[in-house]
Amino acid sequence: MDTLVAQYSRPSGQQEGYSQDEQQELLQLTPPLSLKFALPPIAQPSSWLRAMTDDYSNPNCPIKIAHGTTTLAFRFQGGIIVATDSRATAGNWIASQTVKKVIEINNCLLGTMAGGAADCQYWLAYLGMQCRLHELRHKRRISVAAASKILANLVYSYKGMGLSMGTMCAGVTPQEGPALYYIDSDGTRLSGNLFCVGSGQTFAYGVLDAQYSYDLSEEDALDLGRRSILAATHRDAYSGGYINLYHVKESGWVKHGFSDTNPIFWKTKLEKGEFSNVTSELE
Amino acid sequence: MAAIFTGAPPNSGPGYSFTQTPAPTSASEPRQHAFYPYTDNGGSTLGISSSNFTILAGDTRSTSGYNINTRYAPKLFHIDSADPSSRLVLSVVGFAADGEALAERLDTVVKMYRYQHGKTISVGAAAQRLSHVLYGKRFFPYYVHAILGGLDEEGKGALYSYDPVGSYEREQCRAAGAAASLIMPFLDNQVNYKNQYVAGSGVGHELQQRDPRPLERKEVEELVRDAFTSAVERHIEVGDGLQMMVITKEGVEEVYRELKKD
Amino acid sequence: MPGFDFSNHNRNAALHAQGVPLPKATSTGTTIVGCLYDGGVVIAADTRATSGPIVADKNCEKLHYISPQIWCAGAGTAADTEFTTALISSNLELHALSTGRTPRVVTCMTLLKQHLFRYQGHIGAYLVVAGVDPTGAHLFTVHAHGSTDKLPYVTMGSGSLAAMSVFETQWKRSLSRDDAVKLCADAIQAGIFNDLGSGSNVDVAVITAEKTTLMRNYITPNVREKKQRNYRFERGTTAVLAEKVIKREEISKYVTVHELSDESVAGAAEKMDVDL
Repeated sequence: MDTLVAQYSRPSGQQEGYSQDEQQELLQLTPPLSLKFALPPIAQPSSWLRAMTDDYSNPNCPIKIAHGTTTLAFRFQGGIIVATDSRATAGNWIASQTVKKVIEINNCLLGTMAGGAADCQYWLAYLGMQCRLHELRHKRRISVAAASKILANLVYSYKGMGLSMGTMCAGVTPQEGPALYYIDSDGTRLSGNLFCVGSGQTFAYGVLDAQYSYDLSEEDALDLGRRSILAATHRDAYSGGYINLYHVKESGWVKHGFSDTNPIFWKTKLEKGEFSNVTSELE
Repeated sequence: MAAIFTGAPPNSGPGYSFTQTPAPTSASEPRQHAFYPYTDNGGSTLGISSSNFTILAGDTRSTSGYNINTRYAPKLFHIDSADPSSRLVLSVVGFAADGEALAERLDTVVKMYRYQHGKTISVGAAAQRLSHVLYGKRFFPYYVHAILGGLDEEGKGALYSYDPVGSYEREQCRAAGAAASLIMPFLDNQVNYKNQYVAGSGVGHELQQRDPRPLERKEVEELVRDAFTSAVERHIEVGDGLQMMVITKEGVEEVYRELKKD
Repeated sequence: MPGFDFSNHNRNAALHAQGVPLPKATSTGTTIVGCLYDGGVVIAADTRATSGPIVADKNCEKLHYISPQIWCAGAGTAADTEFTTALISSNLELHALSTGRTPRVVTCMTLLKQHLFRYQGHIGAYLVVAGVDPTGAHLFTVHAHGSTDKLPYVTMGSGSLAAMSVFETQWKRSLSRDDAVKLCADAIQAGIFNDLGSGSNVDVAVITAEKTTLMRNYITPNVREKKQRNYRFERGTTAVLAEKVIKREEISKYVTVHELSDESVAGAAEKMDVDL
């Protein structure tokens, strides 16, 4: 008995191991909903964080967070097309060529990822959780407007802390039809027909605006999404890798491949005669 | 001329939050130097997963500046090694103190899971949990690049790589740390056969890309050894010893080999 | 106008202020040492050259010729040590020719310090100057700002502390030639293994009144092991967009083409320092 007691008791007043709160936190499967983030022990955490992690204002910052992207989404008569590249960069370093920048919030809602990869991954997963809770509480699917507002309010509450995200929420619901929202970490929330987000956005807009029409056929719309991302990967050094294509319909989203840009580029060039700026001739 | 564009993307480009603030144009702007809790302890790690195993490896040198702190500071941690069915290995490179804190934290989390559920955590769940642990310090990050290795429910090799604040992705291979830029291109070429084509499979654009195949354990161990001996040749912060953990359904096997010490 | 060209200085300063990083010079973050002994003087160096954390050259030569009996070991910016020693070597040769005497080590040291002081440390050359002249064997250090020292044993570079610890524990008066060489080589090895900026091999030069013996790669404690795998690609593995073959007859219209016999090709390949 004594050995058992000894095994399960600790001398009192000793401050070792995890506190009650920390143990509770470790036990939980998901972090608590009222998120408590560790903060550095200084007066201005956000300016400190910027000095450590923002490679725009300080190219020699010690922690390089993955950035750089082209993502687009547009509404048309057949639903919403969502397309992204797959490159993640940290400074000049291509951290990955295989990032999944379309985040499947649930089987009829999609989110896109631009800016800080971790911020988008984490908060869109969190949004997925909130959407599911909404379904359980109200016995019906959440509207895209409501879902996007959860995210917008959330990031607004962290404004100035250094979150970095530019995201689009796309979904089709019976009450709204195809709905598309743009949310960024400054707190902006816009609804619209067509958005391009990321360092390659201008290049994608160039193609998308020129060819876009609401009455596009499904096949043409998918082609346009793919072609716009291709243009951005061609001109923006911070975009590239694979083209990730989705079509959102009322029945849910459909994935249309995660395809390498290089063969698509040469196919586009050789079969359609586009990209005449590129030659493979010698002299 | 090219040097001008090798920095961060131009400031006028699109961005969120931080980029909206003007970059300091001169040294006159006051900067906070007082609080700097990080040291880069150098070193490198890599992981490769295949059809039925995963290998993680890291050198054992710990540096600060031009000094060697120790020639044996492991960067690989067998998570919950008390559990005989544990197949999780975490590798961390960057700031060693943060790395060890992270490994301990994950170890606790995985143990707690086992005590609560009476079963070993799956790699997928552990990977997501690690992401959340990292993101929990989003505003005071762990200064580490983590790679988590294990076996998935089908017994296939699983490998997850992380950025310092918890963005993660499952991959076939990944190099991290000081010599990542030296090792990663080698891995892309030799594991995923990037930029390799099948000789004689066609002319011009008909030429077929070489398809990746699952590698044998011996091949992978040789690639790891060659990656590290090469990194040691060209990176001053890599050397002394090579610690390797091979994760198979039989268990986690640790291999240590010497590296050059200059 | 002889000397340095400063015409890009204002432009570069402006670019740097905008956040463009300055180009990195190859530095020989180095261990160099020197030691006097009864019959002359020994200097030694490691052979690693670095650019930041990257090894730029695994087997560079840091022992520079000044005159037959005066040699210099250089640390700091590689180009600066190279060109400063070459310049002073020329000036010293002219000086010797005009005076008709063998050059003295102090003269060399004085020329170096005056040159370096003039440039206020912007020439990043840190040197160990050693030699034997009619007044005896001498050993100096010269810092980039122009200060100098005259000591029986000296170390410089990022590995100087590691190397000095060897001298401070093992140096004694009236060393023999072999003892001095061993002491210097040990000091360099202390730098090679304990300082990240130093590495690879040990070069030693022994200077006596009679002759100078340069022992290039005197010790090679860091030979790379054989690679586990063979990385030869099958011909045709790399994709080719377009191809153009220029025949020798065509190219000889623009440049002179020398025929090489097969033996001399093999000879040239052997001299190259490559990993196999």
